[in-house]
Amino acid sequence: MPRIVREADATWEGTLARGNGTLTATSSGTFVDLPITLASRLEVQQGKTSPEELLAAAHANCFITSLAGELARAGTPPGRLAVRCTITMDEVEGGNHRIVASAIDATAWASGADEELVVRIGRVADEGCPFSALIRASADVSVAVRLGEE
Amino acid sequence: MADRTANVTWQGSLLEGGGRIDSVGSGAFGPLEVTWASRTEEHGGMTSPEELIAAAHAACYAMAFSNVLAKAGTPPERLSTSATVTFVPGEGITRVAVRVRGRVPGLDAATFKERAEEGHAACPVSNALKAVPEITLDAELES
Repeated sequence: MPRIVREADATWEGTLARGNGTLTATSSGTFVDLPITLASRLEVQQGKTSPEELLAAAHANCFITSLAGELARAGTPPGRLAVRCTITMDEVEGGNHRIVASAIDATAWASGADEELVVRIGRVADEGCPFSALIRASADVSVAVRLGEE
Repeated sequence: MADRTANVTWQGSLLEGGGRIDSVGSGAFGPLEVTWASRTEEHGGMTSPEELIAAAHAACYAMAFSNVLAKAGTPPERLSTSATVTFVPGEGITRVAVRVRGRVPGLDAATFKERAEEGHAACPVSNALKAVPEITLDAELES
């Protein structure tokens, strides 16, 4: 299979508490020089993104593509899917921070699918999502999938 | 404790349909279009899970390394980090390469490299990605 490579760049000036940085999606150029600070990462976001928010976007994106593929494979291709991912970072012993949980909450509208099927396919999609596999080694991953109402 | 959230929708099949990162909690970016082709072939100006992981890691590592340096009494003037994520469909994320260049007054090149390794241990995203088969670090002090 082909190897796909994606790159991003960050800068930082000064100490962690008082300094600040920038973040760029270098491969696609989708976002450039977004501001980052420690306070917006740990406290109120103030319109700034953070590593954890980017992981939430990555996991939601990864899971939703896996779910789209698995529903089609099951003979019930999706009309529409909606996924919310919430990443939780907590302070652990010694004052360090760890990413402790990633929670996926998904709704699937797929003709011919029932609730039992989408729940089952949701588990298969989780198993097939590379990001779920990685982060499960160090954090709790929870996946809730429901059938969307017409 | 900090929770950070993103919302993504998808319309249609994996190969012919497409998705959108509708919103993130901070509002810092979005909506951003995403497709399977842009993830696994040419990016076509669209982001992907792997690029977002690279962005998370580059940002997290820069913050963690700055803290290691400041705690050691040598805060950086400036750090430039990049993260490159390699994805093999059907296999998974196989490699993350982190590169850092820094201007740090009062620090020699060898100590910079040592501290850079400590930066990984202090970075929550490095810890979250520890199951990646290969994580590399290339650290050089700028004169």
